[in-house]
Amino acid sequence: MVRLTDVEKAILRGDNGRLQQKALENIISYAEALGAQELCVVTKATLGLGAQPYLNNIQSDDYNQIFSRVYMCTDEVLDISHNKFSAECFCMTCTENCDTEDYEEVGLTKEYFDKNRRFLEVARAAGVSMASTCTPYLLGWLPLKGEHFVTTESSNAMFCNSLLGACGNPDGVEAAAWSAICGRTPKWGLHCAENRYASHEFKIECPAQSAIDWDVIGYTIGRLLPAGGIPVITGDFAYPTIAEVKQLFATIATTSGAVMCHILGMTPEGQTMTMATGGHGVKESFNVSTAEYQKSLTMLCDVTPGPVDFISLGCPHYTLEEIRDVANYISGKKIKSGVRLYLWTAYPIKEMARASGYLDVIEDAGGRIMTSSCPIMVGQSIMKQSRGVVLDGAKQAHYIRSMTDAAVYYGDKYRCIDAAISGKWDH
Amino acid sequence: MKEIIKGRGAIKGIAEGEALVCPDSIQGWAGIDEVTGVIIEKGHVAEGTSIAGRILVIPSSKGSNCWSGHFNSAMINGVKPAGWVVSQIDSRVGVAAVVVGSPMVVDFSDVDPCQVIKTGDWVKVNGDSGEVEISRQG
Repeated sequence: MVRLTDVEKAILRGDNGRLQQKALENIISYAEALGAQELCVVTKATLGLGAQPYLNNIQSDDYNQIFSRVYMCTDEVLDISHNKFSAECFCMTCTENCDTEDYEEVGLTKEYFDKNRRFLEVARAAGVSMASTCTPYLLGWLPLKGEHFVTTESSNAMFCNSLLGACGNPDGVEAAAWSAICGRTPKWGLHCAENRYASHEFKIECPAQSAIDWDVIGYTIGRLLPAGGIPVITGDFAYPTIAEVKQLFATIATTSGAVMCHILGMTPEGQTMTMATGGHGVKESFNVSTAEYQKSLTMLCDVTPGPVDFISLGCPHYTLEEIRDVANYISGKKIKSGVRLYLWTAYPIKEMARASGYLDVIEDAGGRIMTSSCPIMVGQSIMKQSRGVVLDGAKQAHYIRSMTDAAVYYGDKYRCIDAAISGKWDH
Repeated sequence: MKEIIKGRGAIKGIAEGEALVCPDSIQGWAGIDEVTGVIIEKGHVAEGTSIAGRILVIPSSKGSNCWSGHFNSAMINGVKPAGWVVSQIDSRVGVAAVVVGSPMVVDFSDVDPCQVIKTGDWVKVNGDSGEVEISRQG
């Protein structure tokens, strides 16, 4: 039996409307399934909304009906547009399946674009803020230490648990919606201090000096981590920067189910090994050797050199600093005719890039800054008839293989830009 | 021959059917065909078998943050397991449990259902009592 506060009892009675009532009913069922005794207050949420492809399973054009069936798991049609999400919980949108402004460029139809905007408009009316990024922490969505959050983006969950000391479980799109609406989640798993300790040590014995190094390290840790494990990273390395740690967290969460990782001496709950493991020690230690690093690279990048025509940078979404680095490198150069070069970021950061002059430099070189999505979110249409795809994010390189027959190459942003200029990938 | 193992009832109700045991779970992304319910995960022990109407026996979830969403899509398309037996519940399984609504028993302390139950066994899942009754030939 889940213990409820007076506020929760009022929501369950329907005092805040049927939408919040149904959301809390679902959260209580979820808590009972987990064996949780009580709920905790959720103050931050990010949610994948808009015309997501899985909504096509419902044969309807009524977003209220679709939302009710898919997210709320009921045949009752709940009125989303006239029922607000929880006022206690600040909810922003996660990545969409289309660029904010341009559908033709990514191979989608105006019909789809308009439907996506229409669905998002309903969410906006319900009180959801429009951010449409996998890196909400770059835009001020920051759950701090001890704060409870939900998110549909695994790299974001990893970032907030590990680096900020906030608390969130990997629980998917339906539960994230319930929590964003009623402001509660079961007090269970990573919401409880005793479940946040490291179980497996990963000693870094490979290069750890760049974004791509940390991208590959994360991919390798996730490959080696046993199910249910929480890693602690140790070794003699300079602490990763924001651009590097962003890659690390995205790729651990690509090859494993983990959404928490300690970095010894750096992350708030991993200042010492005793803190990181709760004094229990680790079950097992792994070496992230240069051989394991190379093995990951082999899995991510095709070995045969070849022509390329689709270059995509920014997984997770680029920071302004990364866009600046691209602008500085590409300034005065031109990408090859017939080659597309995309940088993906959040739309407010694109505006900062415009104001800073980076957008002009990148566009003059023939590149584009795209927003609110990425190739794996848009799907196959974006690659059109590409012969060679080049990516600087391992998460992207991992998933895109199931979406294309083209050669897939992976490397750091400078090597990717060189490929955009020459139109080929060389080893 | 009958055997009863005991866990904790996570979703109430009673269901029975033929067991489909997946000792390495099923991945979320590209794990099941959401229209037919057939397992499409490459190299999976039950690749090509549908989850529809089966008692799904898994250790926990695997991969994708939105693991539940794939079972949700399958259910909307009319395909879902009749019941679940899960060695240790995790948050992704917890959401899938609520979304799908089929009886579920979880959290076995002294036995691993993925070892005890074999694919093809007839299994009765009692989400009220937490009992799982296994019947097999011989």
